[in-house]
Amino acid sequence: MTSPGLAQLSAQVRAFAAQLRFRHGFLIGPGEIRDALRAVQAVDVLQVAQVQDALRAVLTTSPAEARVFDAEFGAFFRRPAELPPPPLPPAPGGQAAPGEPSPPEPTARAGKKTGPVQGHPQSSGEDPADEDAISPQAPGRALENAPDDPDTPPQVLRARLSPHAGAGGRVQTEVDDLPELLRAASALIRAVELGRARRLRPRPHGPKLDARRTLRAAARTAGDAALLKWLGRPRRAPRFLLMLDGSRSMGQSAALLLRFAFALHLRARRVEVYAFSTGLTRLTPHLRRAGPGQPLALPDLGAAWGGGTRIGDNLLRLAREERDRLNRDTVVLILSDGLDTGDPEVLIRALRDLRARAGLLVWLSPLAALPGYQPVQRAVQAALPHLDAFLPAGSLGDLHALGRRLRR
Amino acid sequence: MPLDLAAAFRERGYVAGDALVTALRLVVALGKPLLLEGPAGVGKTEAAKTLAEVLGTRLIRLQCYEGLDAQAALYEWNYARQLLHLRAAEAGGRPVTDEDLYGPQFLMQRPLLEAIRQPTSPVLLIDEVDRADEAFEAFLLELLAEWQVTVPELGTLRATARPHVLLTSNRSRELSDALRRRCLYQWVEYPSAAQELDILRARLPGIDEALARQVTAAVHALRALPLGKPPGVAETLDWAAALLALHRDWLDAPALEATLGAVLKLHEDQRLARPTLDRIAAHNAGA
Repeated sequence: MTSPGLAQLSAQVRAFAAQLRFRHGFLIGPGEIRDALRAVQAVDVLQVAQVQDALRAVLTTSPAEARVFDAEFGAFFRRPAELPPPPLPPAPGGQAAPGEPSPPEPTARAGKKTGPVQGHPQSSGEDPADEDAISPQAPGRALENAPDDPDTPPQVLRARLSPHAGAGGRVQTEVDDLPELLRAASALIRAVELGRARRLRPRPHGPKLDARRTLRAAARTAGDAALLKWLGRPRRAPRFLLMLDGSRSMGQSAALLLRFAFALHLRARRVEVYAFSTGLTRLTPHLRRAGPGQPLALPDLGAAWGGGTRIGDNLLRLAREERDRLNRDTVVLILSDGLDTGDPEVLIRALRDLRARAGLLVWLSPLAALPGYQPVQRAVQAALPHLDAFLPAGSLGDLHALGRRLRR
Repeated sequence: MPLDLAAAFRERGYVAGDALVTALRLVVALGKPLLLEGPAGVGKTEAAKTLAEVLGTRLIRLQCYEGLDAQAALYEWNYARQLLHLRAAEAGGRPVTDEDLYGPQFLMQRPLLEAIRQPTSPVLLIDEVDRADEAFEAFLLELLAEWQVTVPELGTLRATARPHVLLTSNRSRELSDALRRRCLYQWVEYPSAAQELDILRARLPGIDEALARQVTAAVHALRALPLGKPPGVAETLDWAAALLALHRDWLDAPALEATLGAVLKLHEDQRLARPTLDRIAAHNAGA
């Protein structure tokens, strides 16, 4: 880095990396910046596309980040303005982590970025990305969409059935019942019976001789294998895929079930959580980001919270998206009251897909906890033949009983 | 490394996008592993094979699977042989030391150890890393950071020449942030229609131009559908090869019917794609 041109480029790369880190929460440290500088030197710096490809390979770690990166890169390097100092990170005490790397929550980001980075010459750069991800649609446009088209982005369906869907609102949970929920989650995990894992582990007794450890032990007894060591297969740990109905009709139950999802996430290692209302949002990253002992705070979920219900469409979309991750170890929990406004046929197709791949398909309904409940909701009636279990989930007591009821 | 990597790849029948070529160039220049993600059948594994050819080095491949552990990936002692050696020494009245028993002749090298002990940098392909479990991923992290392996009986073995590492993932499981940070990242997308046509020409040089165009157009129409298993580039090539083997040079309704299994591999998908296929056949019949 001797020539002034290279020095300037290096300063730009550093400023750009800082911008990605502060504004979008990219995991970029000094190591990545060093690699980025080396990468820029390894390609033809006069070709912008090559520089972009190289920096993208170094600085991003997922397709979602790559999309944000491309938008930011276009804004940053196509306008060679004087470089402002990197903006300060948001003040502590802010609601969510700095920046949302994945585009499903762009509204949260859009709301926040006006704070610390205001007046930044490049700040207009992320507008194209935001428009791709979500844009307030005219109601007329939304109504034109065929309801059965699985390609229709769920955001477009916002406000289709509920005037308040767009208002979403923040979702916050308290910590008070967490210990209870953790116990319920543990009981559920214990109750799920799965097969044995593939990997052999040292066990006191097992079906297979551990030659290595036996031979090592034999070294102590003059080469005689007096102590035999064994290998066995431990039980498989279940994965969970939770589908949380966040529609208005779910009311308080939705918040309870969300807290339950959080507890399950703390107890089991592989938990995927999605929320849906008229749209679908993946909540897993937010759950992972919540600190231990902290109340779970979610950003504005837009079409995935507080609107009407389109359970069939969203389940079908989920079944397609998560298809590769569903296997015989997966327990799919659908948490919904079944007050659906969509076509039951779509729901049946989705459930058949899920059933074919998942180990266990369970529907939890808060309504089923009411005395004298009959499963008469259209969606529930359509779903019943495809479920492994249909269980009530109206209160903490119901959640505690989940494991016991599943085992029956 | 050849100056024009894209041309070198094309020579060997691999048509690579610009972003992928740049990423592969960085693997060699920066010495960092590259994580390739993308749908099945877009040529992630093939990219590693071609890179090895282009660099003129060995390709060492570790196929990951559920239950893969360090013994299967790194090394294993040949216990049966060790026991025989012990018995023979006993019968001959010779004393046996640890060095005798844990010599290199009893060490069975698995892909990762093999990659470390090459005199020149090989290409190490860790295929479908998402299929292995988290425990293996953690083990892999250590190896990718230090490039050394500790065998308790032998001591620490350090890499003489750092391998060029490519990892592929089909996203059947979320990889850890730690692994992602260690790696360069490249998402490999389905090729554009023009690129796919290039791939067909490069891979099947004898193919009729009109047929190649019809096949690419049909595959692109199919990928636009919400299929359970969309056709990858591998399927495109299989399909074209199947048509060639049947001596079809026009993608009409009977040809489609006869070779549909080469491109759509789920019954539900075949049913779902029926209207699209009919439209393609009608279009080709009219042309």
